[in-house]
Amino acid sequence: MTTPAVETLDLAAKFAGVTADTRPGYAGWIVPAEALTQFASFVRDELGYDLLSSLTAVDYLEQNQFEVVYHAYKTAGGPGLVFKVQIPRQDPAKVASVTPIWPGAEYQEREAYDLYGIIFENHPDLRRILMWEGFEGYPMRKDWKEAFYEEEAKPLKSRWPEGRHTLAETRVPFGDNVSFKPGFDPEKWTPTDPEELLYATLRKYTSETKDGITTDHVLVNMGPQHPSTHGVFRAVAMLDGEIVVSLKPVMGYLHRNHEKIGERNTFLQNMPYTDRLDYFNSMYNNWGYSLAVEKLLGVAVPERAEYLRVIMGELSRIQNHLILFGMLWNDLGAYFTPALYAFEERELILDIFEAVSGTRMMCNYHRFGGVSRDVDAASLEKIKGLVFERLPRRVEEMNRLLSENEIFVSRMKGIGYLSPEDSIAYSVTGPNLRAAGIPYDIRRADPYGIYDRFEFDIPVRHNSDLLDRYLIRMDEIQQSLRILRQALQQLPEGPVLTGKPQYQVKVPAGEAYGRVEAPKGELGYYVVSNGKGNPYRYHIRTPSFINITSLEKMCVGGKIADFVTILGMVDIVLGELDR
Amino acid sequence: MNFWTDPIHVIYQGLMQTFTGWGMAAEVAGILINLLGIVLMITAIMVLDIFLVWIERKVVARFQDRLGPNRVGPWGIFQPFPDIIKLVLKEDITPAGADKWVFNLAPILSLASVIFLWAVVPLASRIYGVDLNVALLYLVASGSIGTLSIIMAGWSSNNKYALVGAYRMVANMVSYEIPLAASLLIPTILSGSMSLTNIVNQQAHGVWFFFVSPLGALLFLVAAIAELGRSPFDLNEGESEIVAGFHIEYTGMKFGLFYAGELLHAFTFGGFVAALFFGGWHGPWAEEYPLLGAFYFVAKAMLGYWIIMWIKYTVPRIRIDHMLAFNWKFLTPLAFALLIVTALTHRFLMDFPTWVYVPGMFLSNVLVAWATLEILRGNARRERLAAEAH
Repeated sequence: MTTPAVETLDLAAKFAGVTADTRPGYAGWIVPAEALTQFASFVRDELGYDLLSSLTAVDYLEQNQFEVVYHAYKTAGGPGLVFKVQIPRQDPAKVASVTPIWPGAEYQEREAYDLYGIIFENHPDLRRILMWEGFEGYPMRKDWKEAFYEEEAKPLKSRWPEGRHTLAETRVPFGDNVSFKPGFDPEKWTPTDPEELLYATLRKYTSETKDGITTDHVLVNMGPQHPSTHGVFRAVAMLDGEIVVSLKPVMGYLHRNHEKIGERNTFLQNMPYTDRLDYFNSMYNNWGYSLAVEKLLGVAVPERAEYLRVIMGELSRIQNHLILFGMLWNDLGAYFTPALYAFEERELILDIFEAVSGTRMMCNYHRFGGVSRDVDAASLEKIKGLVFERLPRRVEEMNRLLSENEIFVSRMKGIGYLSPEDSIAYSVTGPNLRAAGIPYDIRRADPYGIYDRFEFDIPVRHNSDLLDRYLIRMDEIQQSLRILRQALQQLPEGPVLTGKPQYQVKVPAGEAYGRVEAPKGELGYYVVSNGKGNPYRYHIRTPSFINITSLEKMCVGGKIADFVTILGMVDIVLGELDR
Repeated sequence: MNFWTDPIHVIYQGLMQTFTGWGMAAEVAGILINLLGIVLMITAIMVLDIFLVWIERKVVARFQDRLGPNRVGPWGIFQPFPDIIKLVLKEDITPAGADKWVFNLAPILSLASVIFLWAVVPLASRIYGVDLNVALLYLVASGSIGTLSIIMAGWSSNNKYALVGAYRMVANMVSYEIPLAASLLIPTILSGSMSLTNIVNQQAHGVWFFFVSPLGALLFLVAAIAELGRSPFDLNEGESEIVAGFHIEYTGMKFGLFYAGELLHAFTFGGFVAALFFGGWHGPWAEEYPLLGAFYFVAKAMLGYWIIMWIKYTVPRIRIDHMLAFNWKFLTPLAFALLIVTALTHRFLMDFPTWVYVPGMFLSNVLVAWATLEILRGNARRERLAAEAH
């Protein structure tokens, strides 16, 4: 259980033009924009940073520049490499795309383009991803103003003129919050234009003649309202009969610009807001955020709080995987029976969450430097009863019931294959990466909290198909139970929060990247502070969003029925996919 | 002859006397009474259908560790009525691009195809619609009308999901009617008749065909589930894939007709399993008291229905290519093999006494099952070895 030795690099000496980032509170390297492509290949091929964890942009309005921030890691483990590209803040702001080097950057670059208007050259498909086509402006830019709400002078004094209520939308001069391009008339607009942009990326309609019969491809929109997309997600699929010929995901239906709102909130106000990302795992979302801010604050977490974080985090992992099994069987068409069996166990875990935090799902449990409440003796007994007696038995029962079902295995085996190399390239993390035979788990590769104290295995499977992705989650539940047993036995007495609880924290200027192994994959928070009460930049690298990059690759050539299972096994939650 | 030994005849005579007493011609009265009988039968089936909704919801709830409906009436037994009221009150939408006639005809046809079936079902020794001498052919034909209604719905909806559902139904129909028909031939061989009344009578006076051909019964059940389009063969609906498949565009009572048709179809096939293999109305004192026989028949049909439900709520959906492979590479060859073996053993053993005939037939079935499993095991082994060598 040793922490990997921190690699000391002197990139400035190795690569011409690269300088260290010397701003106080900042780390990493600044790469000249024109050398980015060579530098990225150098980092990947020579230095071995094969996994691009996060790509994002920051708008430094005062310095008049955009900064594109890259976090790269080695799947072999160890600390990461941060490098940045600074470009002048002007239109068009151009930066070379790293998608050819790390295909996992595709959607992240689209997101940066969408929210910041940074143009990534040589990107295969640079379109808006979260906002809709035709949206005016780039909302994350610091000088972008939300119509009505952020105007310097409000055009209307009251929402209740003369005491009568009228719909705000009818009075706001900006209409329903959109300002249109000159010459654009919404009445005459037909929704074909942006769609055509999307359909152009699909394989064309082909009308061909096979054995004298003319066949045609069918374009099917799976979603946004569809029972198996787990929310409002849409995939446009070109079908040849039952076979998927081409597929493109469309997202953003649940987009509320979490990051923009996060910049307006104070640091602590963001804590409950992270709950809403992956609403199944609020405990883990809290953890990643508190980790990043604690790095900036430099506070230590008391022993008991560390243990409580581990206990809640692992319980969260168990219930996440259980619910995934249930939903997967629903996707397979098993009419809720396994789902309801899984819900039964999940409810017991949520009962514990409710007892310790007050809420079943939106826990808001972590604080900077600890957790909000201590666990009482009765709840602790309940947890012990679950971990030592009920859960192992019930998980085994579920395993016996589900894992060897003939139809289930035939639907799962060999489907949705993604080679290990592709998995890394597409920045797939979490159980799906480990099912491809790569033992990359942040709890072991770059331990946070007190994970280096526990004895547990990183389960690995090698076929990289749906069945392995399912089985590895079964294995992970066992390992989580193992960690829980140790944590419960070692749980020390003591305080659960460093210092006094406070509403406002003073966060020193700087940047921090906190990442945790959330049940769905790597969850990272990139927080930049400028010493004020709210974060200057608050970016979330969500596993759902980045794991979905490889969806097309996994689905093409399969049946339309497989698409549903593959999507289910990517384990997306729209709350964190669309943010 | 009294009411308890032959109710239909007694009622018929009574009504006939009344009507002719009113001065009606005997022929007209006969037609009128038959019509009355049909209306009565359909009403009884529809009332039963309403309670099937309740039964399905309650049983599923128990499978899934839930309580199920328990608010309206004792054990929620009147739950279907609010359900129906809701369906009736909902807006009836016909999509703009739909082929109106076909679109509106499909749900009616769907339910009608099921009700047709009840014409030939012998409810008890002397209670049945008609004693059709090609009842089994009629069964297959009516089933095809049900399939046709699904294709009509899928095609006329002008919806891609519905179209994919209809495609799947075509593939389903083309394949699964073959083992279904083949397994229907087994009772035909055993009884020497295609009339359901005869088939049930033969069992009532001899041995239930289940004991003579258990494998045939199993084959029929599997093929029937596929024909019904129930899980694991519910590809034409495929809720998680193609949303609702063929009935995606239907609202209100039109959807209700499809739903009612599906439940009733499942129950009806439970009834056919009972009639073909489990002696139909046969049971203690059923011969003397036909109403008791009808009760036995419904009870057996419920059991069959319960098995179909049990399967539906336990297993996931099979994929289309697996489903077709399962049919063409397994079910159809097996059905034909069983048909040939049954025909041959039946011919050899038919002159022997029952205590030789029944075990002999049973043994032949076991033999076919064993041989099939051996072939499958051999195939699996070969595949595994090939995979390992690879």
